Amino acid sequence: MAGVFVLDKALILDRLGGDEEIYAMMVDMFLQDVDNTCDALAAALASGDATVLRREAHTVKGLLATFSDDAGAAEANTVEQLANQGHLASQAEAVAGLLQRVREVAAVLSTG
Amino acid sequence: MHNVLIIDDSDINLTLIKALVLKLGDCSPTLFDNPLNALEWCRSNVPDLVIVDYMMPDMDGLKFISAFRALHGRNEIPVLMITANDQKDVRYEALLGGANDFLTKPIDRVEFSARARNMLSLRTGQKFLADRAEHLSALVEERTTEIRDREKKLIFRISRAAEFRDPETGAHIQRMAHYSQIIALGLGLSIPQQKLILEAAPMHDVGKIGIPDYILLKPGKLTHEEFEVMKGHAKIGHELLKDSRSEIMKAGAEVAISHHEKYDGTGYPHGLKGHQIPLFGRIVAVADVFDALTSERPYKRAWDLDAACKFLEDGRGKHFDPMCVEAFLAGWEHVLEVRQRFRDEEMPQI
Repeated sequence: MAGVFVLDKALILDRLGGDEEIYAMMVDMFLQDVDNTCDALAAALASGDATVLRREAHTVKGLLATFSDDAGAAEANTVEQLANQGHLASQAEAVAGLLQRVREVAAVLSTG
Repeated sequence: MHNVLIIDDSDINLTLIKALVLKLGDCSPTLFDNPLNALEWCRSNVPDLVIVDYMMPDMDGLKFISAFRALHGRNEIPVLMITANDQKDVRYEALLGGANDFLTKPIDRVEFSARARNMLSLRTGQKFLADRAEHLSALVEERTTEIRDREKKLIFRISRAAEFRDPETGAHIQRMAHYSQIIALGLGLSIPQQKLILEAAPMHDVGKIGIPDYILLKPGKLTHEEFEVMKGHAKIGHELLKDSRSEIMKAGAEVAISHHEKYDGTGYPHGLKGHQIPLFGRIVAVADVFDALTSERPYKRAWDLDAACKFLEDGRGKHFDPMCVEAFLAGWEHVLEVRQRFRDEEMPQI
């Protein structure tokens, strides 16, 4: 389980060339889309299709990495890699953790 | 304005990349969240840069690049693929499959700008070279056309020079050349071959330049010796034209040497038979004789058309290649048009 998510806005802005406008736009989009993101990840697990789970975990990994959540991205990467090897049912707990992480990041972003 | 195609199934990435592309300046982004739709768009649009994500449903980035490269004229357009840092194998595969460079997630603006600008510079260079190549190609085409036109005019003048020394006229050259083309068409020759014989046939008698006036302009019948000299015009014409690099001149040389050969082997200068005689020679033989018969000359009246046709028919397999006679008669309507179009005029006296 990753530690608490701490928003490092300076780091993200640095990557975006200091562009606050783009940063704000990305945060808005992440927050608007967080329910869909979580629903898609949960549905992927329920689908029984490891390929779908791999893809959704990959998407979540990208989203978390965008907000410099290295620990969360690493969790998503583990789910993605295991799904790539065909593991699905054994990942229920990891997926639940990941869903929680996405919500946590959203909560921090919405206040930050 | 550069047209930048962005393909990513994630809306947030699409929005981010679009914003970064707009920050580059002088760019117009086109967005697709589905690679199949993007590919369809690419069939009728040519982007200057493609930025494509690797992992997408329906079609991954590698397959997209492969399909994109397979489209006509899209094999050199720069493609940037977005991958995760840990996807080294994917990057190798993408490089082999036609990606030009990579962007790693999470996207870094400095890195993005540098790589995207490099790719757009590459594209600008490509377009400059393509425009230049097109410009040069058009210039070469224009110059070639000019040279070919000059060549044709020169050939016509050379042919006229020979005809001026002869009682025959410039209109004869035009008619027999067009008759030759009608026969070539009837024989099913290609359009370039039809055009070639049209341009080469006028040179059939160019060797008459080398025949003394007392023979060439003799009003009465030639003696045996004089006729032997006269027959030399076929070889003289061939000598004049044979070493040229011009296709028209080469064909003219062939026509000059072979238009007096006869199908049964009784012609000159080599007494060739049947298909030993070059096809252009067999064609021109029919065209030249028909026009000579049906034209009025100071020493003879013009034959009527029926009599001239009968002469050709009677000469099948003897003087003429039967197929060439058949092709000529099959194009009779065109023959009449040519006769109407190129009528004899009074020639200036030399």
